Amino acid sequence: MIELWDGASMEYDKILENLLGRDDYLVVGHSVVRTDALEKALGRARFTADYIPKGTAVVKVVRSSQPHARIKVDVKAALGVPGVLAVLTAADVPGHNQIGYALPDQPFLNGEKVHYIGDPIALVCAEKEYAAAEAVDAVEVEYDPLPASFTLDAALQPDAEPIHEGGNVAVTTRIRKGDAERGFSAAEVEVEDTYETPYQEHMYLEPEAAYAVPEGAGKVTVVGTMQSPFLVREKVAHVLGWNLSQVRIIQALTGGAFGGKDDMGPLVCAKAALAAVKLGRPAALVFDRDESVAYTPKRFPARIRYRSGADGEGRITAVEVDITVDCGAYANRAPFWLWRMTAHAAGPYEVENASVDGRAVYTNKVFGGSFRGFGDVAIHFAAESQVDRLAEELGMDPVEFRLRNVLRPGSRTTCDQLLDHSVGMEECLRGAAEAAGWKRGRELGRKGSRVRGVGVGCAYHGISTSRSTPDWSAASLILNQDGSFTYRTGICELGQGSPVGHAKIVAEIIGAPLSSIRIEVPDTDSTPNAKPTHGSRGLMLGGTAAADAALKLRQRMISVAAEMLGCPEADVDLREGRAFNRQDPSEEVSFAELAEELYVRGVSPAAYGFYTSPRRFYDPETGLGVNYSVYTFAASVVEVEVDTETGQVDVVKVWPAMDVGRAIDPLMIEGQIHGAVSQGIGFTLMERLVVEDGLVLNPNFKDYVVPSALDTPEVAETIIVEEPYRHSAFGAKGVGEPAIISIVPAIANAIHNATGLRFNTLPITAERLYAALRRRKP
Amino acid sequence: MRITFELNGKRVECEARPNKTLLDLLRADLGLTSVKKGCEQGECGACTVLLDGAPVNSCLVLAPQVEGRAVTTLDGLVDDPLMAALRKAFMEDGAIQCGFCIPGMLLSAYALLRENPRPTEEEVKTAIEGNICRCTGYIKIIEAIMDAAERIQNERP
Ligand code: FES
Ligand code: FES
Repeated sequence: MIELWDGASMEYDKILENLLGRDDYLVVGHSVVRTDALEKALGRARFTADYIPKGTAVVKVVRSSQPHARIKVDVKAALGVPGVLAVLTAADVPGHNQIGYALPDQPFLNGEKVHYIGDPIALVCAEKEYAAAEAVDAVEVEYDPLPASFTLDAALQPDAEPIHEGGNVAVTTRIRKGDAERGFSAAEVEVEDTYETPYQEHMYLEPEAAYAVPEGAGKVTVVGTMQSPFLVREKVAHVLGWNLSQVRIIQALTGGAFGGKDDMGPLVCAKAALAAVKLGRPAALVFDRDESVAYTPKRFPARIRYRSGADGEGRITAVEVDITVDCGAYANRAPFWLWRMTAHAAGPYEVENASVDGRAVYTNKVFGGSFRGFGDVAIHFAAESQVDRLAEELGMDPVEFRLRNVLRPGSRTTCDQLLDHSVGMEECLRGAAEAAGWKRGRELGRKGSRVRGVGVGCAYHGISTSRSTPDWSAASLILNQDGSFTYRTGICELGQGSPVGHAKIVAEIIGAPLSSIRIEVPDTDSTPNAKPTHGSRGLMLGGTAAADAALKLRQRMISVAAEMLGCPEADVDLREGRAFNRQDPSEEVSFAELAEELYVRGVSPAAYGFYTSPRRFYDPETGLGVNYSVYTFAASVVEVEVDTETGQVDVVKVWPAMDVGRAIDPLMIEGQIHGAVSQGIGFTLMERLVVEDGLVLNPNFKDYVVPSALDTPEVAETIIVEEPYRHSAFGAKGVGEPAIISIVPAIANAIHNATGLRFNTLPITAERLYAALRRRKP
Repeated sequence: MRITFELNGKRVECEARPNKTLLDLLRADLGLTSVKKGCEQGECGACTVLLDGAPVNSCLVLAPQVEGRAVTTLDGLVDDPLMAALRKAFMEDGAIQCGFCIPGMLLSAYALLRENPRPTEEEVKTAIEGNICRCTGYIKIIEAIMDAAERIQNERP
């Protein structure tokens, strides 16, 4: 809700109609060439490692070689290695050594006990790379091994060695809605299975990096790869024992993140900062690829026991879901991950009776963390497989079955949240099915050993914070004397282009050419705190703060322009970098002249935008209430071709649809969808992290295979559904994460359609599919 | 040891340990940060440069191996018409997200179109198979390379 200067108010999705007085968007909804494309295409875009000058001290991490052990650390020999500047252990941490994200279970440097292979123990600082590597080997760690748990079942044994104080269950969740047992007694068919989803490694192209420079007395600047500069600042200050204002964080362009750098940003930057402060000279830490794969958080594995029933009309009557998330060594984001799975357990369907329980369990393996789609990818794989099976049991078409159950305006979610608007699930599903020619039938036939099949997947994804936790964001906009603008947001450019989306929102509101709006890099010394770039909030929350800044500045520009033009404010319009009188457009002033006048009159040419999400209600006892403020909905139809001789699956074509609220940039939306299709294909069919006794055996591109150009399917034009959200700029909702969720079950369902085989664990590799086909043969 | 080679059309002489990779020579010693380091294992293609016109992973080439040869990075092709066409197509088609893979991707695409001005989609896919992109799903990249090929063709008399 925007308070207008005349006392009236207006919803954010009605800016065009109510405030700009136009019928058509000038910038929003039209695809543009991203303003950051040129520097990237010239190779001049600078990523963290590109900032590190020669002569910077090299930092390397000494890591545990044992999965679970008490340790004693001796650094004497390492200090004797020529070229070594310092070896830092937990004892050298001046502030707090506890750095756990959600729970206090994670030491920054482990001095007494290690919890997984790769746990950081010490930091070696040296003049040169090779000296640092030699010193890492020279640090003596004495291990007193403890029994280790590598599986959920092992960790849950009553006599399992506790990995952290308080036992191996880190956190639990629970929802009770309606009466599940009554729901099952009304069911005509029932389906039950246990689903398992594995780790997924982000494999962003740019490995983690940070470059830290001590400044004067009691200040440090860190340039790094990250998603949340203000979270990084908090953690760096926490480790150093300093105030927030003593730490300056600059987010360099980040070469892919997908959630992973939200976790790694703080951990890597704090290491470089500690080294720089201790050495009193610039220090940098850049991960190798194997380090980046073997030891950094990845998609949390999960096991889901799922029972659901439907009546003869094709209505889902009950779901009973039991979720176990494998945290690995630390809880990290598991409490949020697990809650998301719990809340979305029924999928995008209205189910009156739901009983959901969850727990997150420690094991002695690399820990999990944020990854695009969060727990919704795993839970939708289970939910959407179940829905397909229920339809099959009833002899109903899977699209038709879904249509009888999907969330619609007026529906209530599993958390009993009333969805009163911005619910485009049905349109997405109908759109994708129609585009794919679903009605033509799914008997695509076979050619020699190759059979084709089609599958569908639906998804919904709550945006931003859960459980009615307030969320807010800020941005700033300055009109410079020449009529150009400087825009600042703490929302990071990670490839997804959110800041460009913000600039488009500003351009639309303020009538400035997009090229005249310069987006500054996030720098915590000058950028307003926009909170993290995660949870699909970057465009929605950050962009609405941008809109707020633009609306404030627009009003000041209009009132000064009205006086300059000698006309009422209501007649002033801003467009293409000038203010003019609507009654006589030849009467105009340029933004440069207007800016000059603002400065001369002492009218502030800078605006601070702030947005906070509407107040909501949630009951922690029952798990019921307003959970996420709004949801993005998506559907995909996928056609696959399975080679029955080899088990190889080719995704032939994908028909995606998404309710994005309002499309700020259709081309960028497609970009997100295409990237998610590729990562979804990887997760469903190819990507397999091999972990044996806690050791990651394939920490590289060669053995952990991600999709290449040869694995690219045809993707139909995305069906963009626009059900605007009332409380965000122009009604836009986040798209980057939801894009991956529906693809995964759609592929699995298509494989079932082609072969009759139903897989409850991922990835469905060629070997597994081949073996399953053999087994079935008489 | 002393190494002399042609870098982006200019003769350079420099000092390097024999086990230094071309990637480190270019990035750290010669300041060409357009060449990216993604894995140092020859598996991601972010470090692609042209060696006598052919794309190679510079992390797998040792500095002494370029003695007397020609190395081209993106920086040397700023004004090249074919690269300009590729760049324009990449920008307009939305083929660039984080940008980390893009220098390598553009050089592989450039090498392809120099050899084969009208490639099929399959040929494009094969040419960039060694360049991993985790952001775009390759679709817009493939489209952009096809578009650039077509434009260059149409501009020819
Ligand atoms: S850095 Fe050379 S191929 Fe990855
Ligand atoms: S654009 Fe990010 S890796 Fe290709």
